Amino acid sequence: MTALAVVPVVLATLLIGARGVAALRSTSDFLVASRRVSPTLNAAAVSGEYLSAASFLGTAGLVVKNGVGALWYPVGFTAGYLLMLVLVAAPMRRTGALTVPDFAEARLGSPGLRRFSALVVLVIAGLYLVPQFTAAGQVLTLVSGTPHWVGIVVAGAAVSITLALGGMRAATYVQAFQFVLKLLLFIVPAIWLVVAAGADTRAEALRPAEYAAFPRPTQVTFRLDTRLQVREPVTVLADGVPARLEPGEHVAPGDATWVFPEGAAVPEIAGAALPGSATWQQPLLDGGNGHPLLATWSILVATALGTMGLPHVIVRFHTSPDGRAARRTAAITVGLLGSFYVFTVVYGLLGGVLVPELYLSGATDTAVVALPSRVDGGTTGDVFTALLTAGAFAAFLATSLGLLLALAGALAHDLLPGSLRRLRLTALLAAGVIVLLALPAVRIDVGAVVTSAFAVAASTFCPMLVLGIWWRGLTARGAFVGMAVGLASSAGVMALGLVARPDPGLVALLLGQPALFSVPLAFLTMVGVSRRDRPPPGAEPAMLRLHLDERT
Amino acid sequence: MTRQRRVAVTSPQTRVAFAARRGVSAVPRSLSGDELRAAARIRRRQLRVAAGTLAAAALLLVGLPVLLGVVPVALRLGPVPVVWVAVALLPYPVLAGLAHWQLRRAERTEDGAEQIGRDRQDHAR
Repeated sequence: MTALAVVPVVLATLLIGARGVAALRSTSDFLVASRRVSPTLNAAAVSGEYLSAASFLGTAGLVVKNGVGALWYPVGFTAGYLLMLVLVAAPMRRTGALTVPDFAEARLGSPGLRRFSALVVLVIAGLYLVPQFTAAGQVLTLVSGTPHWVGIVVAGAAVSITLALGGMRAATYVQAFQFVLKLLLFIVPAIWLVVAAGADTRAEALRPAEYAAFPRPTQVTFRLDTRLQVREPVTVLADGVPARLEPGEHVAPGDATWVFPEGAAVPEIAGAALPGSATWQQPLLDGGNGHPLLATWSILVATALGTMGLPHVIVRFHTSPDGRAARRTAAITVGLLGSFYVFTVVYGLLGGVLVPELYLSGATDTAVVALPSRVDGGTTGDVFTALLTAGAFAAFLATSLGLLLALAGALAHDLLPGSLRRLRLTALLAAGVIVLLALPAVRIDVGAVVTSAFAVAASTFCPMLVLGIWWRGLTARGAFVGMAVGLASSAGVMALGLVARPDPGLVALLLGQPALFSVPLAFLTMVGVSRRDRPPPGAEPAMLRLHLDERT
Repeated sequence: MTRQRRVAVTSPQTRVAFAARRGVSAVPRSLSGDELRAAARIRRRQLRVAAGTLAAAALLLVGLPVLLGVVPVALRLGPVPVVWVAVALLPYPVLAGLAHWQLRRAERTEDGAEQIGRDRQDHAR
């Protein structure tokens, strides 16, 4: 029944979509609206765009799976806007460029660089979109009990129909309303959870005991083949059939349901931390590679520097009337995002004590939605589950639609110029491809994969934007080679890590989270190659112009 | 009341996506020598302003993990581990404060430079 909670969200989006937008207004209204968007309103819109399923569900899920250190993810997501404020917001707005490919052409005058940037947009948007669909599918699966693929297909259908009916996302104020909606649907259930959980659970969440033994007979439905390290002999009911497991490694097949008896030792999983264990309580990201500090820094570098290169975010700043307003928008966004993310810890800590078995099943991204029914088995719990489901779905829709448009725009304008009518078709096809990609990606961690999109953005667009804005010496060839190196050392290296599957350790860490070396490498390459070239004539005025208040 | 022409209000993404590929208007209004010098001065000052904020942000993002790596989880403020507060709550007000600081100084830099530019023009007259 709670699955129906997504219906109003989808309907509202559809309605907005079918009308082109909520309101059709007069030309003069429209001009006023687009020129006088206040920084506060625009910041709310930016936040509405940015808070995705990864923020709503993913980070709390990562806390359940990897421990308190996962709370660094939202810190990086927020710090991204501080760096954007410091380095790019105002000058970027002054270029008049709406997208990073636009910027590449405007600042460096190279159509080739524009096309290459569009290709990078595809990579980033793809990496960002697949986990959004996976998360939406997981939540629908959880609340409706349907198979995983149904959830993803329903999510894909909701997005596609909205796109097909012309629902190309609403204007700034609708997006700002989205932010308020998500904020309320995140904060109110969090407060209720803390109150309703009771003093004992609250105390337990702050002093979690290691999830060493099952406190009651526990049913675990594995999302995919899972390697379990069984520590003590145990007899489980594997799909209803008793099976005795000796200590050692066992593989639980995907979709299998095992019931562990009360008091049995909880098996361990490589790369995850037993909820409540000492590693789990550590405020740094470990991931089982033994270099928590490096892992934490790598996440922070990727998220903080990657934000400025996200294709669906940068375009929002264009709604600001001038560079100054864009800068104010970025500054206010830092505060708005912080007010959302401070509540992540509630879901993470309660998840660690109330739904620790998700650690075994791999469905940690559903922790947020699973919590209310653990606290209250009655109607109240159902209502809050429904509210959180609606919020998660709103987050999914808002980000996905923005990204699909960015992706379709890059395809239709920069890579395969064609008729404008093809654009909607392109967006639909892209949605279809993303659904196909999301179907096998059942096992991914939403928060972790989204971070790989940040790593690519930080290794490609971040150096080009920062150097293009602050250094007259950047050349088109330098930007191109630097971005190519950044792309290879981020996306390429992560792909290599997936194929090679190195043993846990420093190598596995650097292959999985390459931002720590790929970002400096991209910067150095860009500077090195540019220095061998002569910057085009007019590069210096073109750069200096970006620092001059356009109102003078 | 005259009937005004009605247009769809769309998101920036939609406008970008539907816009015909524009030749990017890379032809800026040309700047005078005075303006160029003023811009160069602003850029230098903004770099200095940015460096201060970046250093503070680096202290938070690079330094705090180091600190949390050595402080034991057992250190508690009442029932709450101090290191958990330091990662879950503390960074957000710090980031918001840094954003405010940066914004104020960046705007002041622009305003100050503007003033100087105007004074010069007055002198020239």
